[in-house]
Amino acid sequence: MLDKRFVLVSGKGGVGKSAVSAGLALLGQRRGLRVLAMEMGSPGGLSSHFGSGPLEFEPQELRPGLHAMQMVRSDALLEYLALQLGVKGITRFGPFARAFDALATTAPGIREIITIGKAIWEVREDRWDVVIADAPPAGQIGSFLRAPLTISELVPSGRIRTQAETMKDMLGDPELTALVLVGLPEELPVTETEETLDWLAKEDVVAPPTVIANRVLDELTDRDTPPGPVGEAAQLHRSLWAEQQVWLERLPPDHTLPYFHGLFTPGEVAARMADELEVIT
Amino acid sequence: MTRTVLITGAGGVGKTTVAAALGVKAARSGLRTLVVTVDPARRLATALGVEELGNEPQPHSDEPDLWAAMLDASASWRAVATRHAEPEVAMRLADNEFFRAASEHFPASQSYAAADQAATFVQAQAWDLVIVDTPPSGGGIDFFAAPAQMADLVGGRLLRWITGGPLPGRRAFYNLAAKPVLRIADSVLGSDLLERVAEFLLDLRTTYDGVAQRGREIERVLGAASVFVVTTSDPAPVREAIKFYRELPGLAVSPAAVIFNRVLPDSWAEATAPEGTSIALEQNLARWSAETLRQRDTREEFSSRYGAHIATIPWSPTPPTDLDGLGRLLDDASLPWEAVGIDAA
Repeated sequence: MLDKRFVLVSGKGGVGKSAVSAGLALLGQRRGLRVLAMEMGSPGGLSSHFGSGPLEFEPQELRPGLHAMQMVRSDALLEYLALQLGVKGITRFGPFARAFDALATTAPGIREIITIGKAIWEVREDRWDVVIADAPPAGQIGSFLRAPLTISELVPSGRIRTQAETMKDMLGDPELTALVLVGLPEELPVTETEETLDWLAKEDVVAPPTVIANRVLDELTDRDTPPGPVGEAAQLHRSLWAEQQVWLERLPPDHTLPYFHGLFTPGEVAARMADELEVIT
Repeated sequence: MTRTVLITGAGGVGKTTVAAALGVKAARSGLRTLVVTVDPARRLATALGVEELGNEPQPHSDEPDLWAAMLDASASWRAVATRHAEPEVAMRLADNEFFRAASEHFPASQSYAAADQAATFVQAQAWDLVIVDTPPSGGGIDFFAAPAQMADLVGGRLLRWITGGPLPGRRAFYNLAAKPVLRIADSVLGSDLLERVAEFLLDLRTTYDGVAQRGREIERVLGAASVFVVTTSDPAPVREAIKFYRELPGLAVSPAAVIFNRVLPDSWAEATAPEGTSIALEQNLARWSAETLRQRDTREEFSSRYGAHIATIPWSPTPPTDLDGLGRLLDDASLPWEAVGIDAA
């Protein structure tokens, strides 16, 4: 995954998407890559795993070689207007910016293309070897990946259409862009991952994703069940393991990540995640 | 008088199971109870006796006082148009590409649809208790903000901002094409996109009075509801749960309780394996004991920081999907039953 320039990490909410993103970013940094980690959704998940304060739109260096940023749509829009269209002197809260932001809420594909466009802009920068995006959840990732196509269909001409074509090519290039879908071996996450996989196969906007099952328990080979907490814990573990097997068989993942028992801080989780990802990537 | 209970929290924490369990418990205590859910797991839908999407409550065949409805949120935007616009405008809206896109992508639309439908059930006064399993989008918080956001969207915010003044008529809008904002937008987006957006918004705007009035009704109904926040002990859902304690007081009442699902028994916290236990089992106890401690710390911090009433549901490898199992699930949860109108004894 880290040999690509752009890695999007998605999955149903609550499955550990941010932890995997943070782990991949830390692993990239350990390997000496210049990494930009990008929080594309609502703030909080990624920054907590880096143990940093709230992230800003401007990438900040959290440790040598690792930068992180928070996507802010209004900032991305202003940057786009200034850098790509040469429209200067627009303030963030001026009527122009507000009008565009309102348009972005209404017209399909616009708000998504501003976000994904900013990400792709960073991918093209020589500053980074890899951009790792804590992407929108599985339920929304489709509209982001499809945004360039939506724009092409909707807007017959104009500069944004030309740029949409370039973005489409970059997202579709398997040498450049990778999608990682994180899931859990449970009913609803598996069902949702299957739906996302079906959609991706149909739309063909990005190379087939890498599917990672998170919080996978190992098998407890000792079949003994003594009285008290020892036996109770063994029984719970074995039943959870058996239930997980059902869903792992239904949707065999490309990789599995273990359950991290008793880890307290998101920072500890991210570091463990980087260790585990080291083995599989 | 119909009581309303809203079950909220992040996705994947067991909200629907809790809503169903509460429904069975209430029905068995003699309350005519309706459980309203969005997109439940199949096994749970079967347990509740609803197999198909539809906004019509179904009586349960085996449980006399229990009804359930599974909302079809995608159909509800269309219903908004039909209810609040002239027939001709409603048809034009339904065919409009922006309308379809907005109903798919506008984050509050699913929440608005669910809130609208739930309020309708409450106002019908046909049940003693209506339990609403809120959609997971936005962690559920936008369920409460959705009516206002919806009114804002159809209120022509875009048009007001583009023109910088009160809403113009259709003709006036076209005359504005000389404005610098529109000239630049035109060069970015191509020739007629803005015009098409404007037509859509002008149509949508005719629904404004209806939507705004309905929004205030929905807010009044939801504002009187008891709210239960469901979470696991994992950091991400806990962060969502905290949002309800920080942000909800501005929108509705404070949550009546936070329900921690998948809780490990306290007796594991300091447990050590007796002499003669195999290494595999000893290590297994050690890791689950560490997990128990982490869970306990999470609950204690939540309780002390937010003064929350904490309820717990034990971790079961296979959550119940039959009526009896659901009916027993909350027996030891120490919920504030008075908020539901169930006599705890």
